Amino acid sequence: MAVFRWGQNWDAFHDLEREVDRLLQSVNLTFQGLRFGRQYPPVNLYELDEEYLLTAEVPGTRGEDLELTVAGGVLSIKGRRSDLEEIPSERFRRQERPRGTWQRSLKIPERIEEDQMSAEFNNGILKIHLPKAEALQARQIPIAEGGE
Amino acid sequence: MSDELTPSRPIPIEHTKAADEGPVERYVFTPPIDIYETEEGLGLHADLPGVSVESLELQVQDNKLTLFGRVNDVIPEGAKILHQEYEIGDYLRSFILSDEVDHERINAKLTNGVLEVALPRAPKSEPRRIQVKTD
Repeated sequence: MAVFRWGQNWDAFHDLEREVDRLLQSVNLTFQGLRFGRQYPPVNLYELDEEYLLTAEVPGTRGEDLELTVAGGVLSIKGRRSDLEEIPSERFRRQERPRGTWQRSLKIPERIEEDQMSAEFNNGILKIHLPKAEALQARQIPIAEGGE
Repeated sequence: MSDELTPSRPIPIEHTKAADEGPVERYVFTPPIDIYETEEGLGLHADLPGVSVESLELQVQDNKLTLFGRVNDVIPEGAKILHQEYEIGDYLRSFILSDEVDHERINAKLTNGVLEVALPRAPKSEPRRIQVKTD
């Protein structure tokens, strides 16, 4: 029986390939829609020693209307601007502020402790703390001597 | 424009930097606003994310209403910015008030980064009968 079967997916290599892709993505920090105009809400991402910090400007959204979810390296933030909802449009003299519901999905950096993420909301600024996972140690792979 | 309440200057598209803000240059933005009619007069809402009650100045002088909101940034020292979609700066905008607004009764509150200003109409003066005397 052949040890290697060329042309077929060998799971270990497949995983490695996927891992490299993920690493590259985390270096680029590609945010969805970054090159396609301004999205709501605008966000900034900062790196600190222990964590990444994501901030978003969401004035007019109440804390109880904010919804944060994280799954598979994608953070979804959702909310609704509810002030002035009850004012009929013909009463407006001037309307410059965005309104209604909003939603945004952001790819978060790799190696985040997703279960230890936390968020705070003050004065219309949402701050999401993304703690970095322990750096993975380079690991020596033992080579077994071929026994006769 | 014949609005009772009109912004006293157009909204600049480019950011303008404050000229004499001390050693650190800060951005000054024109915040977006809504103006709407209420039973009592007019209402004004302005988006001022990052501004707290302590750092907001609202002033009426002559017939001009000016709002200035300072953003006290709490991004930790040494944070490296990896991705930026908004700049951090202060907010400034002024409005010309019509005589119909009762300046004394203007009141405001700040909630979740939104300033809400109520501009009540001045009560209409009742016609007053002037007695005409004869000699």
